[in-house]
Amino acid sequence: MLIELKDVNKTYFGAQPLHVLKGINLGIERGEFVSIMGASGSGKSTLLNILGILDNYDSGEYRINGKLIWDLTESKAAEYRNKMIGFIFQSYNLISFKTAVENVELPLFYQGISRHKRHEMAMEYIERLGLKDWAGHYPNEMSGGQKQRVAIARALVTKPDIILADEPTGALDSKTSVEIMDLLKELNEREKLTIIVVTHESGVANYTNRIIHIKDGVIGQIEENKAHNSVRFGSDGPLK
Amino acid sequence: MAMRFDIDRYKEIVDTLSRNRSRTLLTGFGIFWGIFMLLIMLGGGNGLKAILNENFEGFASNAILVGSGRTSKPYGGFKRDRFWYMDKTDIEAIKALIPEADIVTMMDADWGGDIAYGENSYTGIIKGMTYEYQEVESPKLIFGRWLNEVDCTQERKVCVIGKRVWSNLFPDGEDPTGMFIKVKNSYYQVIGVDGRNGGININGSPDQSVVIPYQLMDKMNNRGGRFDIMCMTAKEGADSDEFQDKVRALLSRRHSIAPDDKNAMMMLDTEKIFKIVDNLFKGVNILVILVGLGTLLAGAIGVSNIMMVTVKERTTEIGIRRAIGATPKMILSQIITESVGLTVLAGIFGILLSVLILWAAGNIVSNLPDVSFPVSFQIGFWIGIAVFSLLAVLGVLAGLAPALRAMNIKPVDAMRDE
Repeated sequence: MLIELKDVNKTYFGAQPLHVLKGINLGIERGEFVSIMGASGSGKSTLLNILGILDNYDSGEYRINGKLIWDLTESKAAEYRNKMIGFIFQSYNLISFKTAVENVELPLFYQGISRHKRHEMAMEYIERLGLKDWAGHYPNEMSGGQKQRVAIARALVTKPDIILADEPTGALDSKTSVEIMDLLKELNEREKLTIIVVTHESGVANYTNRIIHIKDGVIGQIEENKAHNSVRFGSDGPLK
Repeated sequence: MAMRFDIDRYKEIVDTLSRNRSRTLLTGFGIFWGIFMLLIMLGGGNGLKAILNENFEGFASNAILVGSGRTSKPYGGFKRDRFWYMDKTDIEAIKALIPEADIVTMMDADWGGDIAYGENSYTGIIKGMTYEYQEVESPKLIFGRWLNEVDCTQERKVCVIGKRVWSNLFPDGEDPTGMFIKVKNSYYQVIGVDGRNGGININGSPDQSVVIPYQLMDKMNNRGGRFDIMCMTAKEGADSDEFQDKVRALLSRRHSIAPDDKNAMMMLDTEKIFKIVDNLFKGVNILVILVGLGTLLAGAIGVSNIMMVTVKERTTEIGIRRAIGATPKMILSQIITESVGLTVLAGIFGILLSVLILWAAGNIVSNLPDVSFPVSFQIGFWIGIAVFSLLAVLGVLAGLAPALRAMNIKPVDAMRDE
């Protein structure tokens, strides 16, 4: 089991305490392509933050590869994130004053990999994602789909155990969304990458092999979706 | 993870600074301006001091000048408003009775004396002096020599001419020593040329003067050994005020002047003037340093402020960096290095520009017709080093608050405010 959550609870203590995650139990195997689906306010973002070691949980257990993620120092958390998790964000989150290849290099920079090696590795992923001609361009010179592919290259370059995609198509049109989801699917099939997609769109979730529904901080239905027919409009219908 | 001091880290900083040019320029300007002003003022002060000091050039710092004037009080049976003069016996009395006295000599001057050589003529100041006077105000000879003891005792008809007199009488710039020039109605042989400029002077600027032995001057003017100005120096280690009091008391007694009649006997103490000038420049320097440091500090606070704003602006960027593996320590060191890099870079520009301008100012002033000596407006090397180190320290301090703020940015912040 690559990812194991046991009775994970999280409460935000504000003016009114908000119990966001109410005892989450979840297991994800290596090589799985799953989606976590829920409406806004369902707790899916909080779950994503915990899965991505971006946030702490109050009680329970979270293990990656058997390693307990609990009470980490900021630097330890940064190290784990860097080595084990690749992030893909809705708004790409590229650094605007860095070129595509420099953005991809950045996680390697924080690993202390030499410049030459770093550039080589980054270029490899840039090429694999079909962005060779765009390597020297800045994010504002690229289309949304290209930016998201740069972000995917950045997520892949450290060879992480888990790819966490937070609404990866949220800012894209339907055609590009299909491209990106196809790309993620292909990565999962060809490279056996473990990919977790967090989304509120059923069309996006339909691409994955397992759909985990989350509602009001608890896990509801877990749908096996090998046939990709969970969406009423059919397997090859429009994404949106 | 340990901090890596490799070229990569600096490349990252250079990238961040150079790709956000307007932000960098805005932030650095305060430091640039502070350094620029501080160094320009310091260098300007140095140059002014050099110019002012040049005016005192050659003057003994322990000279005392006594001038006779009109009495302002009735004393010893005399009415007020009486003229009095000193004479040779006063000099002998001072030498004999006041042990602190070193050189005691007289000076007499004739303003508007005609001087001529061949067809060239000049109206200058004719000064009668003794060979000892060079201890009070030392000449800067371009040619020949100054008066010596034999010139004075044998009353040789020789003269030392000032620079302007020389250039008027000898327009081709030849060595005039050995030539005979006409001073008033008789001829004198030139023995030297004094190259000093105007500046502080007694009885007229040295460049417009012809100096002849006092004894000849006395005869020429028929004054019977009387003169208006006496010049003396105190022996080394002697208390200058005490010496002056003794001279005043002695001369007052010999000439029946009220001991407290300052108008009748004017005394000038070069040491006091030197001290005033010295203190003036000490004051100017302190002021310059205070103002300069203030400007610099304001610049540093500006850097800190702008970096504070940019850190807020860069929340997403820093959040992304944190999300993909930067530790808080790395972010901290990045912001501080940016701050130091920025301050030092801006400071170097400030140093370079001010040094350049000071150099230009030095060249321009040195080439002015009234300035015959090279004036340096430059700041010292160690001042430069000190300013540079100060910059680095200021950079760290300015970066501290923004860096701490940046360090507290959580990776989740990258995903907020989109």
